[in-house]
Amino acid sequence: MMEYSHISPWMQDVEELPVEMSTRVRLARNVSHLPFPYMMKDNDGLEPVLRKLETALDGYRRVEMDDLQFEDKALLVEKHLVSPLFTKRGLLSYISEDESVSIMVNEEDHLRIQTMGVGLPMIDLYRKADAIDDMLESEVDYAFDEKYGYLTACPTNVGTGLRASVMLHLPALTFGSRIQTLAANLSRFGFTLRGIYGEGSVPLGHIYQLSNQLTLGQTEEEIINNLDELKERIVEEEMEMRSWLESEHLLEVKDSVYRSYGLLKHAYRMPLKEAAKCLSDLKLGTDLKLIEHEDFQFQKWIQLIQPAFIKMRLNEKDKEITSLEHAVEEERAALMRQLLGGE
Amino acid sequence: MKCESCNEREATIHISKGNGFEKTEKFLCEQCANASFENDFSYPDDTFNIQKLLKSLSEHPSLQQTKRRPKQCGTCGSTINTIVQMGKFGCPDCYATFGSQAADIISRVQAHQSEHVGKMPVKSRAHLKTRKKLEQLRGRLEKLVETQEFEEAAIVRDEIKALEEAGDNDGI
Ligand SMILES: [Zn+2]
Ligand SMILES: [Zn+2]
Repeated sequence: MMEYSHISPWMQDVEELPVEMSTRVRLARNVSHLPFPYMMKDNDGLEPVLRKLETALDGYRRVEMDDLQFEDKALLVEKHLVSPLFTKRGLLSYISEDESVSIMVNEEDHLRIQTMGVGLPMIDLYRKADAIDDMLESEVDYAFDEKYGYLTACPTNVGTGLRASVMLHLPALTFGSRIQTLAANLSRFGFTLRGIYGEGSVPLGHIYQLSNQLTLGQTEEEIINNLDELKERIVEEEMEMRSWLESEHLLEVKDSVYRSYGLLKHAYRMPLKEAAKCLSDLKLGTDLKLIEHEDFQFQKWIQLIQPAFIKMRLNEKDKEITSLEHAVEEERAALMRQLLGGE
Repeated sequence: MKCESCNEREATIHISKGNGFEKTEKFLCEQCANASFENDFSYPDDTFNIQKLLKSLSEHPSLQQTKRRPKQCGTCGSTINTIVQMGKFGCPDCYATFGSQAADIISRVQAHQSEHVGKMPVKSRAHLKTRKKLEQLRGRLEKLVETQEFEEAAIVRDEIKALEEAGDNDGI
């Protein structure tokens, strides 16, 4: 599945902002009177729906999970095109040409419509998902209840079925440990802030995801607006913290930015955790105008260092491997040296 | 290189491990990799542990009485106990089948919200409109009968009948 071994077109050549990264919106939908995927004995009940989707989603690439190798699946997960659960139990996904839309059939719900983008107002991404939803609704008889709205397998999605999220790069808030208080406060308002890669105390690359937890009792627009407002507040806090770092700890910041730069440019072995940390430092340094590198794109590079991406590069090289662990770390380091013009 | 998990089969797969700060990368055979895959990547959806929350519900008195002959969903066969266990409903019809218990579960996971106010499918929009219109007409009919305006009442009654029949055809 070589066509997915590249960065998604929608992510190419984007103007990167400090802090704010990509945004995602997903709608959970189900077919009326049909058991939810985990209760389905076979896919017979879905057949008529699938036939309709096939015509409605003309132009989308149909990707069947059964056809994929483990590593292809990992690649789709790393690109956020499908969920981990989906690679295990999902049926198929329709993916748009620029990979900004993915419609999963039989994830936790019968249909999950997902749109992704960067630098766009979140409401635009919702409108895009909404339009696809309208189109599918004319073909599929949705499970909808006047009181509870769109009915979903899990009661945490019922109502709008909407989960909106934005990825945020928060190195300064992580550094000042403000993040825990922030996350606790947000959860009281029905929002979640957590690391996107891994659940350790310091997430990979200091990248967090802000998303709504509640799906009932608010309109889609209200959910999106609230999320947008919270995002702005967090961005402000991060920027304030950065100013403080700059005025009080400039030397330390400079030191760690240039150390990381040196490592990325000259190391011969790079574990994922180290590479992500160094890229995060480089991004902070770039935002603070302490360092400049023309081709540097944080989001893109964070994706390129993920295991499935590196493994794909290794496969393309077709060289003899004695230790996969070392081979991956060496390949990751080689990629970084190449991207930064090191030796 | 042997699989780090079973130490038997050859490791063919290299993945990043979920809580991976002590060790972010693992080398596994296909079987072990598949078994651990779900934990290997965090995903933003469904962020809080609903299972735990619902487990506490299973001691709820309203669930105890269902012990004798548990009510089953006609569409998917779920009982309230399987729903609580899974943390998921079995099918869309479960919501109606387990009415008050479903309401209880929803209220708990949705911070006491109980009413959808967002988007509606076009079909439901039409349905809702018809229902509102019917309510309105029935109210008017009552008043007309009270004031003994039978001629006008007959017209309204016909309108109601027509709407109801159209509704039946739509499966309302
Ligand atoms: Zn193994
Ligand atoms: Zn059911």
